[in-house]
Amino acid sequence: MEHEQIEKEVARRSALIYLPISLGAAALFFLAASLVGGYPPVAKIGGVVWVGLLSLIVSMPIVTSRVKHHAGTVAGNHE
Amino acid sequence: MSDTTLNVSLPISGMTCASCVSHVEDALKELPSVENVVVNLGTNKASLTYNPKRVGLGDMQRAVDEVGYAVSTSEIILDVRGMTCASCVGHVEGALKELNGVREAVVNLGLGTARVTYIPGVVSTSAMKRAVREAGYEASERSQGADALDRERQAREDEIKRQGRNLLISGSIGLVVMIGTFFDMLGALKAFVPEFLSYKWVIGLLTTPIVFGPGRQFFTNSWRGLKHGVTDMNLLYATGIGAAYGIAVINTIFPQAGFGGEGATFFESAALLTTFIILGRWLEALTRGRTSEAIRKLMKLQPKIARIIRDGKEEEIPAEEVEIGDLILVRPGEGIPVDGMVTEGYSAVDESMLTGESLPVEKKTGDNVIGGTLNKTGAFKFTATRVGKDTALGQIIKLVEDAQASKAPIQKLADWVAGHFILGVHVLAVLVFVFWFFIGFQRFFDPSSRFMLSPYTLGEIGVFGFSLLLSVTVLVISCPCAVGLATPSAMMAGTGKAAENGVLFKGAEAIEKASKLQTIVFDKTGTLTKGEPSVTDVIADFGLLAVDLENQSRINNQQSTILRLAAIAEKNSEHPLGEAIVKGAQSRGLLVGEAESFDSIPGHGVEAQVEGIAVLLGNRRLMRERGVDFSPLMAQAEALEADGKTVMFVAVDGQPGGLIAVADILKEFTVEAIRRLHKLGIETAMITGDNLRTAEAIARQVGIDRVLAEVLPQDKAEEVKKLQASGKAVAMVGDGVNDAPALAQANVGMAIGSGTDVAKETGDVILIKDDVRDVVVALEVAKATMRKVKQNLFWAFFYNTLSIPLAAGLLYPFISLIISPELAGLLMAVSSITVTLNTLLLKGFKPSIRRDDRPRLGAGKSGSPLAPVAASTD
Repeated sequence: MEHEQIEKEVARRSALIYLPISLGAAALFFLAASLVGGYPPVAKIGGVVWVGLLSLIVSMPIVTSRVKHHAGTVAGNHE
Repeated sequence: MSDTTLNVSLPISGMTCASCVSHVEDALKELPSVENVVVNLGTNKASLTYNPKRVGLGDMQRAVDEVGYAVSTSEIILDVRGMTCASCVGHVEGALKELNGVREAVVNLGLGTARVTYIPGVVSTSAMKRAVREAGYEASERSQGADALDRERQAREDEIKRQGRNLLISGSIGLVVMIGTFFDMLGALKAFVPEFLSYKWVIGLLTTPIVFGPGRQFFTNSWRGLKHGVTDMNLLYATGIGAAYGIAVINTIFPQAGFGGEGATFFESAALLTTFIILGRWLEALTRGRTSEAIRKLMKLQPKIARIIRDGKEEEIPAEEVEIGDLILVRPGEGIPVDGMVTEGYSAVDESMLTGESLPVEKKTGDNVIGGTLNKTGAFKFTATRVGKDTALGQIIKLVEDAQASKAPIQKLADWVAGHFILGVHVLAVLVFVFWFFIGFQRFFDPSSRFMLSPYTLGEIGVFGFSLLLSVTVLVISCPCAVGLATPSAMMAGTGKAAENGVLFKGAEAIEKASKLQTIVFDKTGTLTKGEPSVTDVIADFGLLAVDLENQSRINNQQSTILRLAAIAEKNSEHPLGEAIVKGAQSRGLLVGEAESFDSIPGHGVEAQVEGIAVLLGNRRLMRERGVDFSPLMAQAEALEADGKTVMFVAVDGQPGGLIAVADILKEFTVEAIRRLHKLGIETAMITGDNLRTAEAIARQVGIDRVLAEVLPQDKAEEVKKLQASGKAVAMVGDGVNDAPALAQANVGMAIGSGTDVAKETGDVILIKDDVRDVVVALEVAKATMRKVKQNLFWAFFYNTLSIPLAAGLLYPFISLIISPELAGLLMAVSSITVTLNTLLLKGFKPSIRRDDRPRLGAGKSGSPLAPVAASTD
């Protein structure tokens, strides 16, 4: 039980970090596309989604493993 | 969560009394946050409470070690399913190592196993399995022997079936999708294809079951991994397939949405990409099992049935039920079920499967037989001496399994690179997308662009569709699965090939080190030589004798006469040189009778009365003291001594009668082995306790480059160290028991002639047979394996280095061609298959001595049985 709680806490804390990172990257892309101008709205939205998704994929494992590491060892004997 | 304290019970070994208890308790109590320490001598356990944030189990282990005790660890092998690339290796290892109580975890991708060293009681196997499961894979405890073989084969067959089924579905529907996509280009064949197949929504409907059926595994596996903070190549596929399919759906349902419209539906990309990836997986499953065939072959050697004799009756029982002491009957053509000693009968046994020895070995009463070998000619009975996992075959299987489950340094590097590669590729995919979105498309896009090897054009594609396409292609083409397979597959094939030839590597690291050796040091006695003195020369000079020895002995040969007299005189001597003379006479067919009287002269020789003749036999000093003048034979005596032989002077009735030279004899193939090592560019050295002159004489005969003489047994390791200090990678070849320190000191220790009790041997490499040429076999297999590893890594990295820039559109501004995602998928599959097939070529490798076996039988006995070296003093 304790193990599951730790896992849940790790997942919650991680999401609080990687979601803003990927949303930030997507927002940055949107801002850049708007500043450059000339892109159809669908291309901008598609780009935001793709950049956001890839950023999520990159940041999610990095952040989760860091948070997990920070949270201490996983209690392997507590089942 | 951060301040959680944990209770733990550590198994402690080495405690014998109450003071041990207090030492361990005190050591643990000194650690930060460790409380409530109770050490129980009866159960050998230390219970305590600790805060995992402040102190780890490693700290506790060190603290216990420092006071002279140890925290006991156990080892378990888990079968892990679902691993496909090097990054999977890192994830499974990471998941296991994170567990409290796991000290070490080594994953072998090729074997699909994880070897875990853990503290029993602190972490359970179910926790390990759960950790592996949560990382996105399946794990089960590995069973032993034939059961393991069956389960492994079953798991592999299941995977082949599963991917075969997926391939059948995706391949057949994918073909229809292809036909529909290229309907306009079918020409006259159009008449045979219904037109509705070319409708985008029909192609979409056909693609959907491929993506969500056979392709579903990539999405579920990558999501499971992502949830636990790990990425693997499933993620590359999932994003690639998902993006191609998603855009195709949008462009079909909402062609005006601005993603390129109907001209940019990539259904066929999603369908064929899935098909090619599954094709790669299927081929990989087919070929990967073949690289570990050696272990399967070994396991198959074990006969299933034993015919034992109980109460005088024959009874057939399963081989695993044989007990030590059982009497077993073996008929011609039958396998020998367990190890034992022959008690009755005579036969020839084929031991080639375990020792690599091509000729059948004769077995008579008192000889040992090895379980798993094949009885050829006669029937015999034997008593079981070792059964189950203690048999030679059991030990060899364990050793080969351990070696295959270990990891070479080069593999650790490759795994690390591949493990970090996937995240790097996703970052690259973002950069590629951003570049083509903001810069590349406006500057370089050509509406007449095409996919490589395809007539399909990109005319209607927009900036987003084009950038996305390149980004997805980069993801798909970058899969590092070939990198992950490169080393373990070759190591498995190499260790298996070595085992087939009677050479056991104790780990992948030993193979890597053996391939880099520069100098090989041989222990002389028992390694290069037989280790027992034998008669090499007999010189007789009867010119001065008053007795007519030839008539008297009725033997028409002066040498034989002298040898016979000497042998009779020495018959009661227990000196090794005396024994050598007796054996020498007997082996020449001479009758060695009894002396009428015998006197031993300690340190000098013997004197005896033989057939009425006074025979004096001994060293030069004895002859001088007794006033026998050997000056006519002295030149010959000195020549023999210069060759490293020990000369015995024989006086008959007070007159010089002849000389007998005794020396330790070179093993049959010593000279050939050294010659072959020189051919490989290896420097050879010999280490011995003999004096320099004798040692150099032997070295000259053998062709050894460097002599380390007058070295006491305990100083051999120091000599090896000196060679290493001069910057050389040194192997030591010797007896696995007596030379253990030197074997341990060397970069690679090779225990030779260890027979079949391999578990007791020290050294990194075990040569089962007593054949020094197997050192050459070990080196050749190691070099061939590492060559294969390097070729594989080259092709894997070369492929990625070349294909990623192409996929990213580096050449697009010049040629207006891009790689389609499905072509990227095909290339990726080809790279994995290339690496695996390249490894399979190692199966055809034959060490040079096996290739030259035929001529060797006739001419290769370079170390003639009468090529002597000095009787050893070491």
